[in-house]
Formats: sequence, C-alpha cells, structure tokens
Amino acid sequence: MPAKELTGSCMDCKDADAVLTTRNRSLCGPCYQVFLEHKVYRRMERYRKYPDPGSPSYRLLLPLSLGVSSSSLLRMLDTGMNRQLAKNARTSYTIEIIAIEPFTHAYDEALYTKRFEAARETFSKYTFNRIPLHSIFDYVPNMTEAMREYVGSQFKDDTSRSNEERLAAFRGANSTATSKADLDNVLFTQLVVGYAKQTGCESILWADSDTSLAAKTLAGAAKGRGAALTWQVSDAMSPWGVRFDFPCRDISKPELALYESVSPDLSDIVIPDEPLSENILTKNLSIDELMLRYVTTQGEKYPGVMANVSRTANKLDSYSSLDSTICSLCSAIVDNVKGNETGITVASQFSVQKPQFCYGCTRSRPEIDS
Amino acid sequence: MAPTTCFNCKEARAVVIRPKNRHKLCRSCFIEIFETEVHETITSSKLFFPGERIAIGASGGKDSTVLAAVLKTLNERYNYGLELILLSIDEGIRGYRDDSLETVKRNAVQYDMPLTIVGYGELYGWTMDQVVEQVGKKGNCTYCGVFRRQALDRGAERLDIKHVVTGHNADDVAETVMMNLLRGDLPRLSRGTSIITESGASDTKRSKPLKYAYEKEIVLYAHHRQLDYFSTECIYSPEAFRGSARTLIKDLEKIRPSSILDIVKSGEDMAALVPGQAPGGKSCKSSAPAAGAAEEETGGCGSQNGRSSGGEMAAMEQQLASNDGAESRETEIKMPKKGKVSVGKKIKTQTLQHCERCGYISSQPICKACNLLDGLNRNRPKTAIEVGMEDEEGSSTLMRQMEHVQLTNS
Repeated sequence: MPAKELTGSCMDCKDADAVLTTRNRSLCGPCYQVFLEHKVYRRMERYRKYPDPGSPSYRLLLPLSLGVSSSSLLRMLDTGMNRQLAKNARTSYTIEIIAIEPFTHAYDEALYTKRFEAARETFSKYTFNRIPLHSIFDYVPNMTEAMREYVGSQFKDDTSRSNEERLAAFRGANSTATSKADLDNVLFTQLVVGYAKQTGCESILWADSDTSLAAKTLAGAAKGRGAALTWQVSDAMSPWGVRFDFPCRDISKPELALYESVSPDLSDIVIPDEPLSENILTKNLSIDELMLRYVTTQGEKYPGVMANVSRTANKLDSYSSLDSTICSLCSAIVDNVKGNETGITVASQFSVQKPQFCYGCTRSRPEIDS
Repeated sequence: MAPTTCFNCKEARAVVIRPKNRHKLCRSCFIEIFETEVHETITSSKLFFPGERIAIGASGGKDSTVLAAVLKTLNERYNYGLELILLSIDEGIRGYRDDSLETVKRNAVQYDMPLTIVGYGELYGWTMDQVVEQVGKKGNCTYCGVFRRQALDRGAERLDIKHVVTGHNADDVAETVMMNLLRGDLPRLSRGTSIITESGASDTKRSKPLKYAYEKEIVLYAHHRQLDYFSTECIYSPEAFRGSARTLIKDLEKIRPSSILDIVKSGEDMAALVPGQAPGGKSCKSSAPAAGAAEEETGGCGSQNGRSSGGEMAAMEQQLASNDGAESRETEIKMPKKGKVSVGKKIKTQTLQHCERCGYISSQPICKACNLLDGLNRNRPKTAIEVGMEDEEGSSTLMRQMEHVQLTNS
C-alpha cells in the first residue's frame, strides 16, 4: 500500500492534519467548519442581537430540502445557537423547519421519510414539519382564483377532485420546460411564504449557495423578472411582508459539499443531488437549468466571477410595491419599476388591456407559452 | 401541402417566420410590421424633434445599413422632418474596414445622404492594425471601443450635430445586460439599456432606435429589401465577458425565443434600480452617468461569435480572489457613530471633468483614450527602422541574414 501523502498541518489550529484546501487555505475538518460557519453568522448579524428583555426572540423559518445546502445551513445554525445557549442560556432567535416534499421528479418516499426522520432526530430541539406542494390551497388564501384566472378558459378546475389532482392539472397546463419550472418556483415560494405567515415567522432563511443565487439572478433576468431580483436573490423584505435572507450567499455549492463531507452527522440526512445529465439538448432545458449548468461549469474556472453575480444583484435598490398593482400569482409588481417609463410593459408586449399578472408570469402563461 | 398564407393580410403567401413570435408573414407585411415597430419605438420614446440633424453611425454592416434604410423610409412616410447624415469611423483594419467603407460609400449614394468618414489614424495617429501589432490581439477591443466612442463624438462635433443614432439591436442590449451582470457593473448595465444616453457636458446624445429589433429580423429585413451591406465580421476577437454572454444568449434564444426581449425588459427595470442612477438612465444630468457615458463602450464592439481568450474573466477572477484573501487578513476599524449614519447600498460615483490633454469628458484628469495612447506611444520607436526589401516578410529576411552569418563564421 502506498504511503499516505503528507498534506501538512492545518493553517488555523496548527495542530491537526489539513484535510482540504479552500480559497488557498489548508484546513482540518473542524477548522473548515468554523471557517464556513463564520461566513453564515456574519450574514445572520441582524438576528444575533438579543431582542429587548421580555420580548420573544426572532422566529425564523428554514425550508429544508434535505439537500446539501439546506442540511448544512441547519447544522451551522444549530452550532451557532448551541454556542449562544452555552454563553447566555438563551438564543437570540429560534428556527422552525419546513420540508416541502419533492414535486418536480419522482422520488423514493421511503428514503425521503427516513432522511427526514434522521434530521428531526439529530436536531431534535426544533419544530419540524413536512407538507406536500398541493397544501398550497390550505396555506395560500386566494390560490384557487389566481389559478383559474391564470390558466384561462380552457382550464376546468374541478373542486370535487383532490387538491393533488387539481394542482397536477394546473401544473400540466404549461407545455415548455421553462414555463413549467418557472411556475413551480412561483408555487414553491408562495407555499413557503404562506407557511411562514401562518406560523408567525418574520423571515425565511433560504439556503441558496452563491452558485445557486448566481443562477437565479441570470435566470430571473432572462425570464423578464429583473425587477423581482431585489427580493428573489437579495436580503430584503419580500412583497408578502416576510423577510428573505440568504445566509449562505458567500459560500459556493462545492464548498457546502465539502462541509457536508467533513460533518459525519449529516451523512444520514443529506439526499445527494441528481447529477446533471449530459446528453440533453439545450433547447429542451428550462432556463433555470441552463443557468445552473452555466454557473456550475463556469464556476469551476471562475468561482469569484460567479459569486460576484449575486453580489451585484444584491446591490440594486429596493422599491416599495405599496401603490402598485401586484401580480395575482407571484406578487411581483405588474407595472414597470418607477423610473422605467419608456420601457417594455406587460400591456405593450402582450396586448392585455388591464394586466393582472406580472411580465414574468404572463410570459409563462399557457396560451402565450412559446 | 398548400403554402401558408400570411398571418397578417391572410392573402399573400407567407415567406417569413418571425423569430420573435413565430408568426408567418408575407414579404410586404413583414417589412411593414418591422418598420411600424421601429416607428413606435421612436414615437413612444420621443427620440427626435422636427428639423433635427441626425448622424447615423454607419459601419456598412447589417445593423447600421438597416437603420439608415428604415430611418429614411420612416422620415419620408411620417414626415419626421429629419436631416440624415452618415457618419463612419475608419478604425484602420485592413481587409475589414476598408471593404465595409466601400459599402457605406455606396449606401450614401443609394440613400442620397451625405457621408463623413473619421479615421483613427488622423485622430490618434494609430490605426487599429498598428495597435494590434503593438499590443497583440488580446485586449485590443478595449482600445477600439474607447477610440470609437470618442471618434463618433468628434465626428458629430465636426458636423455640428447633437444626436448620433447607432444600430444597436435587441440582441446587443440583452448581451450588454448579461455581460454587465457577469462582470458586476451596474452603472454600465443601466446605460447600455436606456434608449437615449445623454451626457451632461458634451451635448451630443446617443440613441438606439433598433433597441427592440431582433438581430435575426434585421437580417431578414435587409434580405427582403435587398439592402447592400457588408457581412464580414471584425477580424479581431471580442473580450471574454461579451463572448460568454453571447453564447448564453444564443442558448436562451433556442429555449425561449422571447428571452432576448425579456432580458431587455429586465434590464430596463434593473436600470431604474441602480443606486445613484438618474431614473431610467435618461437625461442623466447627475455627474455619475455622464462621466461614465464617455466611457460606455470600453467593452469594444464584440462582433464575433463567442470566440474568446478568457483573459478578462481570468483577470477579474484573480482580482476577486485576492480581494477575498485580503479581507480575511484585515481588521475592520469602525469610526464612532455620530448621529444617523446612512448605511445605504453604496456604489462608486464618478465626478465629471474634462481631459487635460484633449478636453474630452472624463471621470479622470486624463481620459481613457489619452491614457491608452500614452501607453502605445511610449513603446513606439522614435525613428522608424526600415528593412531594405519592402515586400519581403521580416522573418524570412532575418532567416536569410542568419544564414549569411553562419556562412561567414564557417
């Protein structure tokens, strides 16, 4: 057997052997965990200040997909809260965990349940809940009306059928991969927000890595949803009055995967991502998939450039949607952003008299679907 | 199978499938719809006023040729009352620009418009061929872009014209949006998206009447009107960010043809949200956009199909990585807070001034063009060295001389 390659000792603790190199630093497993956790805590600054004595701590919602990013974020936050507990006997925030069951592809339900239970057991301090996508009818009040108006006359919503069947019919109305994926994203966000509102959470902690945020930024721009980037990929108030925060925004996907690999307690929880299939025609991809592929492959060569994309979008000014018409489906503004008076509008582009849906949602509508 | 009839007139035979929405149209309906759309863009954004003198930035390529043709048609059809003049820049690229300039000269006769040509050689003392000889093919588009912007302004000044229109199409604008997202340049994203860019100091404004026209439709229009244009692309390569953005946009167009317009729409909304930017990027009287406008097209023309060296992306990657590395080494020193400190999202602002050398608007004491020229001139030999045999290639001359050296040695 060949001798083990000597990697040298960890740059931070100077004690243990370094097991990995990241951003030109050779680190051991625990020091790497601290390195990444620090990046997340910096993003959690807003919730690390203790609220006034007597008032409750911040309630935050963490959507858990059981993928690498959200599982790692859960572990990092747990570590941080344990540290707070040891120091102050209380934490400045509490988290609630919601898992939306997979809906975009067939999945192994037994395995999913097993992993979900493993997560619940490992992080037993927190409230865990698991709901399917079609519970959107329970959590989002005017979903039925929005759905009917969106799909139009050719769609018959049969309320005698189960919610699952109704939602499947609605999602099936779109023909292209891009519109389907776009609509699924809208529904998913709506459901998580609906859940956050019902459970009284003031912010949602999305586990997107910088890789995923860069892909979302480019895809959002490509789908005509540029104005919504100010909350879709930025730490800001969403149009629903629930804040969106992205604590992993300074960490790339491969770095999160490394975190998982040095955290043995996550190995029973994380369901590995399906690898991106190579033999698929570009024209059959959705725009979201195309951008994720682009950012992932370019990110191997230029990780900093890709990370900078989401940072750039995060610099855009936020705006108030108070006196604007709000999209019945995704809650983005229907009119143009103030200051963009001469640009393309929903009305000019789709010859709709009184638009009810935003540009991005109108573009993905079944009859417009191209 | 019976031939499809036109979606619009329902009479003539459809010969065009519009890339934008897949409508099948006959030749005359397509031409009319294309022209009407440009007319709507012009009227809705109030681009021109009656009697205005307009310089058309003409390269001889499809975009500017179509622009000239459409503007001439619309000017006559809707009585805009414009005086149209062709303004060409001769970058001095042999085998590319000299041929395309011939096209512009023919266009001037065909459209009955006066033509003015301004050369890099006469303005800067350097043709692009000489620049490339000096700096190599990497990064030469930066020189060309910076020089062209100034050259157009100077040409307009020479003609006493306050408004230059360029042939930028929807694909170009979409590309600019994506490219500037990739390189993190919001002010430039904003300027690249707005239909008119005005600068505070110089009174030459720029506009893009073909902003919403698809590149493919421009080609179809040129084809069906049998316009005389020059179709060879620049022989030098575009920079990596533009190349990367272009590849991405071609892929997006395959997935959803409307995405070019969708990106333009996103860009327009985002432009209005760029911190420190005048709303809409229009009539920018504040200093930041104005100064920036002078340097708008430093990215070059990027007229190639995603061929790129990757040099710019690699350079930016290195820069970002070293910033990141430095951040972990530095200690943040916080100033004591005095009253209300604004912690708004800050973005670099530029102050407007004139270049000390040439008087052009610049955010720096010396403008970018003069800086680039400095670099070029530093390396230019004071005396020219001539090789006896003019037609012979340098390398073979040298080789023969080496042979000679060897012979005498032996």
